[in-house]
Amino acid sequence: MGSAETLEIYPLKIQRGLTQLSFLRIPTRPGATRPLFDLLERHNVPVRFLIEGCAGDYNRDLIVCIDSEAFTLLEPELKEVETRMQTQALELRQPVAVIRILGPHFDIRPGTSSLLFGALQQADIAIFSNATTITSSMCVIPDDQVESAKRVIGRTFDIPKKKK
Amino acid sequence: MSHRDKPHMSEQSKTLEIMRRIGAPRPEKIRISGILQSPVLASLTLLLPGGDSDPTATVLEILGELEINIRFINKYRDSVGNTSLCLCIDADVLDTAISALDVHEESLGIRDFVYHPKVIVISIYPHKQRPRVAERLLTALRMDGVDPLSTNNASSVVSCVVNSEYVEQALACLASAFELP
Repeated sequence: MGSAETLEIYPLKIQRGLTQLSFLRIPTRPGATRPLFDLLERHNVPVRFLIEGCAGDYNRDLIVCIDSEAFTLLEPELKEVETRMQTQALELRQPVAVIRILGPHFDIRPGTSSLLFGALQQADIAIFSNATTITSSMCVIPDDQVESAKRVIGRTFDIPKKKK
Repeated sequence: MSHRDKPHMSEQSKTLEIMRRIGAPRPEKIRISGILQSPVLASLTLLLPGGDSDPTATVLEILGELEINIRFINKYRDSVGNTSLCLCIDADVLDTAISALDVHEESLGIRDFVYHPKVIVISIYPHKQRPRVAERLLTALRMDGVDPLSTNNASSVVSCVVNSEYVEQALACLASAFELP
């Protein structure tokens, strides 16, 4: 692949002041997560980040990030949601931020994700979660590490300055 | 150390059987702008140490040095603090990837390693950010007996990884669950 400096990306999109909710070991059955999404929809809360993965023994893990303000609003109802979803554990992280890196074509340039993860790790920036598809990578990191992450990503990729 | 995961679509819960028998309510279709499917890929799910010793960057570096494209990543911390890392790579380099990870198994601290040799990433493009889209996708597929291996929502696309033998069934199911242009 070309040198890291040649990889141009779009300006970073950063969403701060979020809460990451990890619903761990939910039974794999249709509609298992419906109580959560019903709650989010009822309060018109957008999901900023979502991943779902296999937790073994026909269980799933679901990780979502929502605005911390919205989390405060939903918190009193979460216990019931957790019970209805039959979640074995609910872990919270806050405040977190989601950084979206858009543009370096992760799918056709071997090593691009390694550049990103390696640079963040070297700078001691924790990536709590990550979702990467063809052209974008979204990292959930501690909110207080956003400025460091911006500097590190800015050194790793070429980010055009925003036009005034 | 690595093992091929058997598709478990036939593993239906009693709840699913009951829901099928009585017929679950059919919610209003959500409009989306399109559905895309990837070429045939392979998926690898690694269970790695979490926290400070999380070797995700090293795993990606090893694959990158072998010129292996990574088309999908899901990474998070599981219930016991391990890092769960799901990757999709081109199907024809699966053996290369497995061999490389086998060599580094000990230094990476790989605790478990499951692979699926033929998967497809199905991506759906919602019109706007809506909490319901991912849930509808997962519920519709599972009601139809297709269990996505991994799902994520990066930027404005919801992507899920399914075994390639279920792709036609999954696409037909999504076409009836969502309103396409």
